[in-house]
Amino acid sequence: MKITSVKSRAIALLSTTALLATIVVASPAQAAAVGPTCDAKTPIQTCVGTTSDGAAYEIRVPSSFNGTVALWSHGLGVSWPVSAGLLPPFPNGIPVDPRANVTPFTVVGSTSSALASSILADGVAVMGSGFPVQGWNLDEAVKTNVELIGIFKKAFPTTKKVVAWGYSAGGGITQALAEQYPQLVDAVAIIDPVAPAPAMQKLLMDALWLFKTYFDPSMKLTGYSAGKAGDLEATADIGKMYTILASVGANISSGKWPATAGPSGKALEAAGVPSRSAMLLCALLVGMPVQSASYDNINGPEGALKLTFPLAVSPALAALENFGVALTSGLSMAREWDTKFGPNWYDNTKTNFAAQLSESDRDIYNAALSGNTVIDGLLGVLNPANPAAPRMVGEASAVAKAAGMYSTTGKITVPTIMMTGTNDPVPAASWIQQVSDKYEVQFAAEKAAAITAAKKSRVYVAPKNKLSVLWLKPPKNWTKFDAAGTPIAQSYVAGNGHALFTQKQFKFMIDSAIKAANTGYVASGGPVTTAARKAGLVKDKYSAYPYLKYYN
Amino acid sequence: MTRINRRTLISASAVLVVAALTAATVPAQAAEVGVSNSEIKLGMTLPMTGTASPGYNKIPGAMKAYFDYLNANGGVNGRKITLKVEDDRYVPTEAVAKTNKLILQDKVMALISPLGTANNKAIAASVNPARRGVPVLFVNSGFSGFTDTKKYPTTYSILPSYVMEAKIMAEYIKDNFAGKTLGLLYQDDDFGTDALKGFTQAGITFAVKVPYASGSQGAAGVPAGWITKLSAAKPDVVILFGVSSATAAGLGTAAALKYAPQWILGSVGGDATTIKASGVPAGVLYNAIGASFAPATTDATDEYVKLFSDIYAKAVPGSAFDNNVLIGMNSAFVAAQALKAAGTNPTRKSLMAAIDAKGASFASAALIPLNYSKTSHVGYNGYWFGKYSPTGDLKPVDGKYVLYTTDSGSGAVVKSTWKRPAMPAKGLPN
Repeated sequence: MKITSVKSRAIALLSTTALLATIVVASPAQAAAVGPTCDAKTPIQTCVGTTSDGAAYEIRVPSSFNGTVALWSHGLGVSWPVSAGLLPPFPNGIPVDPRANVTPFTVVGSTSSALASSILADGVAVMGSGFPVQGWNLDEAVKTNVELIGIFKKAFPTTKKVVAWGYSAGGGITQALAEQYPQLVDAVAIIDPVAPAPAMQKLLMDALWLFKTYFDPSMKLTGYSAGKAGDLEATADIGKMYTILASVGANISSGKWPATAGPSGKALEAAGVPSRSAMLLCALLVGMPVQSASYDNINGPEGALKLTFPLAVSPALAALENFGVALTSGLSMAREWDTKFGPNWYDNTKTNFAAQLSESDRDIYNAALSGNTVIDGLLGVLNPANPAAPRMVGEASAVAKAAGMYSTTGKITVPTIMMTGTNDPVPAASWIQQVSDKYEVQFAAEKAAAITAAKKSRVYVAPKNKLSVLWLKPPKNWTKFDAAGTPIAQSYVAGNGHALFTQKQFKFMIDSAIKAANTGYVASGGPVTTAARKAGLVKDKYSAYPYLKYYN
Repeated sequence: MTRINRRTLISASAVLVVAALTAATVPAQAAEVGVSNSEIKLGMTLPMTGTASPGYNKIPGAMKAYFDYLNANGGVNGRKITLKVEDDRYVPTEAVAKTNKLILQDKVMALISPLGTANNKAIAASVNPARRGVPVLFVNSGFSGFTDTKKYPTTYSILPSYVMEAKIMAEYIKDNFAGKTLGLLYQDDDFGTDALKGFTQAGITFAVKVPYASGSQGAAGVPAGWITKLSAAKPDVVILFGVSSATAAGLGTAAALKYAPQWILGSVGGDATTIKASGVPAGVLYNAIGASFAPATTDATDEYVKLFSDIYAKAVPGSAFDNNVLIGMNSAFVAAQALKAAGTNPTRKSLMAAIDAKGASFASAALIPLNYSKTSHVGYNGYWFGKYSPTGDLKPVDGKYVLYTTDSGSGAVVKSTWKRPAMPAKGLPN
């Protein structure tokens, strides 16, 4: 299909910063804890120190301290530095940053310190560390958090309740803390969490391999050199990814493929397959949401493209935008895991990519995928027998190391509040849906056990609800166009992007968790639902977001 | 902590008994979403604006015309039926947003006649009416998968499936065009996949098959490409198994290029209203063969056509009574019977139970029976064939309806001997 009037500057690729803004970074390990050193100021006393594993931490305690402390875990940070001048979206590079955060780094429409002040004003202390290592650090970060809880309790012996919270990788860390040390936390608030390691590994590596296969076979993805040379190789891969995204975006109407496309991509182009369909297929195959900050797949420019744009073009642009947010971190982790586990730690020789396209997605996005014949052609390229699309062959010991990495289970052990935007490109909605479904089974089992016990004791003790899921859903439609019909890039629309919430929403989360810590259960019912709605959040017991492909 | 001991249970039981006795002495109180003492709310999504809307956008007016007629005659057990209509422009994501509005904001009891295969799939995947227990009545799609009661437990098809249609079309071709070479234009998604499955099942082979991606029919040069490919293979008979806008583009372009095989049109695409709205004269349909399960809209001897066309003429003066109108009114009529069968205080569950138990015996205008049961959400399962008049009206060949019937699987295609029962008095639910 030829679409002539959609301009090329359609993508907000640079919103990658949204994900990397959740970053803080590493400092060398130390042998002994230092501090805390407190400034004894009022009304807020600030204490700093270093845990025994070398993580810098910060504690803020109000004079009106009521015995509750909120332990924040920040999101993913690069474990290796990206040099300045190599990536256009990051002209200053991406440094490794060891600073501690006590509240979310990014707060839509407000600041981290304003959020912290609002929590402190309630008599609640806040604290957090920079963690001893960056990147995928759930195991290490849990140990740091355990030590930090001990440090706080020792320094402030009137402590009664510990509430942990975090977003992105910090959501995973918080989940891991609750699973491993339920006795140390009274409640948790988990925001846009990463899924367990194997699911995230699959999502990221599948996406990167698809990019390599369709758009640029020169992408390395594994076997990076050691040290600085490897950093540069991985940075080059990130640059190639940006080139692909920019090229497909610039040619969204014509469907022209990037000049870097390999034999498979060139053959598809010769057959009339538009590159936008391949980009969209990549997203659907890995489970990436295909609505994004700028693209709702509903609105179209006035005129001939009013219907064609949302049906045939917008989903691919949304995929581009979401990949732009997610894959810089993905490539950062690919490099990190390559170093940690050894080259060829990922094996996709048995992956059935064709089976990863759901029947629903095939039909719902059929127009944007250019029809079944094109879909089958695109999937045909991914056939293991295609010599132009070599699979990643794992090296057994490296694969085993990757598989042995610590993973959360999603089991709910303490009162837990979860929140995510439905179109989070990480994508957290898929994991939260699974946690929610698992808890429904867990709660039913607890209820059945209570009934069995009641038959003996003649006293029924109802199990207490320990999970509440809050969704941040986007508005009915949000894509905007300028007078020429060109879509306008938007940096924030509720429900889209990663770890993007307002102060009101973060405050609602921590307040809900504190309330749950005090009661031992998560409140539900009308007043809670109404309060959530006032914060722009909804409870939906009938939600049905698709699971991550790893679990299908 | 909640503790329930024997004494509490006894007290609770006593309260329930009192409540039950009280309930017997006061008017019935509605206890279902979308159902009040005076009203039942239904909701539908379909394209009301945009390039996909012509023809389809007459359906809500037709359904409302019947519901208004029903309401003026006492409604269903004293309750009036209200139809909330949302325009999805045939965009799946918009259908999801609008269906969420219907269920969560407008709080309809059930969805009715949501249109489009992709849209209904998107609704099923994202809104999840099955998990919410929301009935999805009489989807306006012939995708065979919607009758999968495990996957879509609250969804009821009404149109014969595209698989059935292709199988029946193949049988008609064998009976009437044996030995002729065949060509096929089809939509390259589930719509077309169903058709290919049916043709394959029937053992039909094509000299040329031309797929088109949904939505591409409006792009400059694309329909001409179809005609070039079709004419190059020189088929005697060409089947257009696509949506109306594609059919219009195909027939219009063929006429311009003076390409004139024997056309056979799928039931979805052979709609004169849409074709005319696309700027293509209805005359291009002349002598094409088409299929329907309802009586011809020009058949003044048919009691349903007579009643429905009278109701529609009063409700929407000046609007032509066409197949979209007839099928819309018929779906409303079937829904009214289902709601009545659901009891004096209908619930979503009782509505679905009523269709499962009694749906196969509901009266309808169609010349083929409904096939609902506890294990089947299949609606109609047959077609008759006719030819289009110069004005685009489909009429049975030689004035006689010959109904073929089959299933979506490997069952044979047979001629139906079923006789439609007489219409209930005044076309109202019994």
